[in-house]
Amino acid sequence: MTTTDHKKLGIMYCVTAFTFFLIGGALAGAMRAELADTGSQLVGAQSYNTLFTVHGIIMIFLFVAPFGVGLANYLVPLQIGAPDMAFPRLNAMGYWFFAGGGLLVLLSSFASDAGGVATGWYLYPPLSGPRYSPGVGPDLLILGLALVAISTVMSGVNVITTTFLMRAPGMTMWRLPVFTWNVVVTAILGLVAFPPAVAAFVLLLFDRRLAGQAFDPLGGGDPIVYQHLFWFLGHPEVYILILPFFGVITETIPVFSRKPLFGYTGFILATLAIGALSTGVWAHHMFTTGVVDNPFFSAMTFTIAVPTGVKFFNWIGTMWGGKLSFRVPMLFSIGFLLNFLIGGITGVMLASAPLDFQLADSYFLVSHFHYTMMGGSVFGIFAAIYFWWPKAFGYMLSERFGRAVFALMLVGFNLTFWPQFVVGLRGMPRRIVDYAPGLGWDTPNLVSSLGALVLSAGVLLFLVDAFTSRRRRTPAGDDPWGGFSLEWATTSPPPEHNFSSLPRIRSERPAFDMRHPELVSGPPATASEPPA
Amino acid sequence: MRGRASRVTVIAAAVTVVMASVTSCSSSFGMPRGSTEQGEEIFDLWQIFFWAGIAVAVLVYGLIAWSLIRYRRRRRESDADLGLQFHANVPLEIIYTAIPVVIVIVLFTLSFGTEDRASSVSPTPDVVLRAEAFSWGWRFGFPDEGVEVVSEPSAEGVPGPEILLPLGRTTRIELTSNDVVHAFWVADFLYKRDAIPGRVNVFDVTPTEMGTYHGVCSEFCGIHHAYMTFTVRVVDQSEFDTWIARGAAAA
Ligand code: HEM
Ligand SMILES: [Cu+2]
Ligand SMILES: [Cu+2]
Repeated sequence: MTTTDHKKLGIMYCVTAFTFFLIGGALAGAMRAELADTGSQLVGAQSYNTLFTVHGIIMIFLFVAPFGVGLANYLVPLQIGAPDMAFPRLNAMGYWFFAGGGLLVLLSSFASDAGGVATGWYLYPPLSGPRYSPGVGPDLLILGLALVAISTVMSGVNVITTTFLMRAPGMTMWRLPVFTWNVVVTAILGLVAFPPAVAAFVLLLFDRRLAGQAFDPLGGGDPIVYQHLFWFLGHPEVYILILPFFGVITETIPVFSRKPLFGYTGFILATLAIGALSTGVWAHHMFTTGVVDNPFFSAMTFTIAVPTGVKFFNWIGTMWGGKLSFRVPMLFSIGFLLNFLIGGITGVMLASAPLDFQLADSYFLVSHFHYTMMGGSVFGIFAAIYFWWPKAFGYMLSERFGRAVFALMLVGFNLTFWPQFVVGLRGMPRRIVDYAPGLGWDTPNLVSSLGALVLSAGVLLFLVDAFTSRRRRTPAGDDPWGGFSLEWATTSPPPEHNFSSLPRIRSERPAFDMRHPELVSGPPATASEPPA
Repeated sequence: MRGRASRVTVIAAAVTVVMASVTSCSSSFGMPRGSTEQGEEIFDLWQIFFWAGIAVAVLVYGLIAWSLIRYRRRRRESDADLGLQFHANVPLEIIYTAIPVVIVIVLFTLSFGTEDRASSVSPTPDVVLRAEAFSWGWRFGFPDEGVEVVSEPSAEGVPGPEILLPLGRTTRIELTSNDVVHAFWVADFLYKRDAIPGRVNVFDVTPTEMGTYHGVCSEFCGIHHAYMTFTVRVVDQSEFDTWIARGAAAA
């Protein structure tokens, strides 16, 4: 409870976040059950609205983002050869802010006289204002999100400081493992994006409780200003949700291809470009408002497709000429590639303002972002779990179970979300509890709900795997995969201060170089290292 | 051996499913074809984007599939065998950065042109329709003709209002909201706009096909959002005139 060890905190972050995934998934299951058929059968409109609001908030702010923070906490010091994070106590405080914020978010979903918060995850005023959402739900949600935002800033400061100041001798920035690079850029985005969002939330709170009129048109306020502030967070946020998992699969694919990453420098430059561009595209969420410069934001958004496309070639180039072994982390990484490509292609469609006039706020959009976040980030999360579990706990997860988990999730995921593209094109808007028959929406919705069952079976099977593997305890050894980065050069689990001795760092693959000294290029092994 | 065979089967099955669902949507790729001049513009753009998307998907999935099959570790090879140890190839990297740049420039240029045409507003519309969204329903007015259609507040089982528009005439829609943000969306027109309190959004529709079209509120607006629907019936001018003369009452 009072630990400041980055490894324990990292695991606490991941376990807490994964618990939120199970909660958010259960809420999604309830929604899919409701939508399986026309009519409203299971939950009333108000509860449905609370379900998707809380599901969205949980998945984004309490699961995917903090899971990335957890991984960063666990891995950054290990990957750069440091004994801990730069500010261990700040780190612990960040965790508790996150957990507390999460609790408030859960409370906001029901602890309210007028029902739970039901505003959608982006809390647009005037709907989220005092007149239309009088209960305390939105207040609790705003406070919870503020705590989570502060926690994000704390961990961001920590990751950046640690990486810049605590690298082991020889670990230059151009030898930094790609996962660490990706979470550094993520941390910078967090520092840029969260403060304006907190400002927006605080103004909203003033409107709600202190008769402020910032966003209320009846009092001369402007709801569009809120949308700008919100999406100035909201869009970088989606890169906060994906970059760490780009990092994950860029660690696993080289290891299981038995090759170095193809185009390391280009990959890092692409990551930096994505980070920079992602702060200039926010108003693509506002094309249909008619009050933003659509061509500018459309062009900026198209541009982001370029560095993202580059990464696909990095991944393919890495597998090219390799000796691929399809262990479970590699399977999930391949699943990431397959799903994320569809998310990317549909993203380019949504970036076109005139196409967005049709696609915005439809199920096409719902499917698009689930292809990036569920099919992408969450597959990345499972790749990370299967890859680093043996490092963290010293024993393996089951390869047989893992393959079944992967198959169920890949099939279930695509069954759930592919029909949503179809139904979106047929005109089904998002966030509706019910739909009329005869519009061609019934069958795709039924298939989607059945797919969600298959997907859940995959997730549940993972829990079975975790429990049975824990019982079986098949020893992992220090380096079960033939890993490349420094965490594979220490014991599993690592000792309290991570390393008793460090190998020489002469490339971005120190653990690989240690096993293959004959392949190391550059200065001979006797040359002295640059000072720390 | 069995593992590898089943892997190939899984990939083949996935490809089949994707291809089948793509082709089953015929060449509109699941999109309504657009029943207005503006919508037809957007539909044409959609087809270009979809073909571009298919080309990219075929290329990238093809390269991935090739890598997975060609470069899988063979049974005679050990887990410790290494792949080729090359790190980078700068000319190749420049090429694969340049290709998406070109694609993106083309797509942006096309979509910029389409937006210009689809969102251009005629100075001399044939009909003006004032649409005001409220929680939860619609007030549709034809100010020049002095008639108005107001819906019952929507809820489960309450049908939304119906309006008529004349075929082949340009109707200017002036859209606003009375309370929270709503949005006006007719999927067959391939067009939606937000209804924002304190602002008026203006756009034109020029229907090219008679028919009955389902309209929805597409911005979440509270408890009865799902039921905030309406119907647009595109009719010929004389039927429209009769309807207006009868005070826009339901037939
Ligand atoms: C476990 C599988 C999942 C299923 C079955 C699922 C299902 C759904 C459903 C049914 C909706 C409501 C659609 C609507 O009524 O508009 C929804 C909304 C949403 N989901 Fe998921 N989801 C899943 C995972 C995720 C993940 C991993 C994330 C993200 C990190 C996510 C983020 C969202 C967001 C942001 C919304 C929008 C909420 C809003 O409209 O305010 N979902 N999801
Ligand atoms: Cu965005
Ligand atoms: Cu609505």
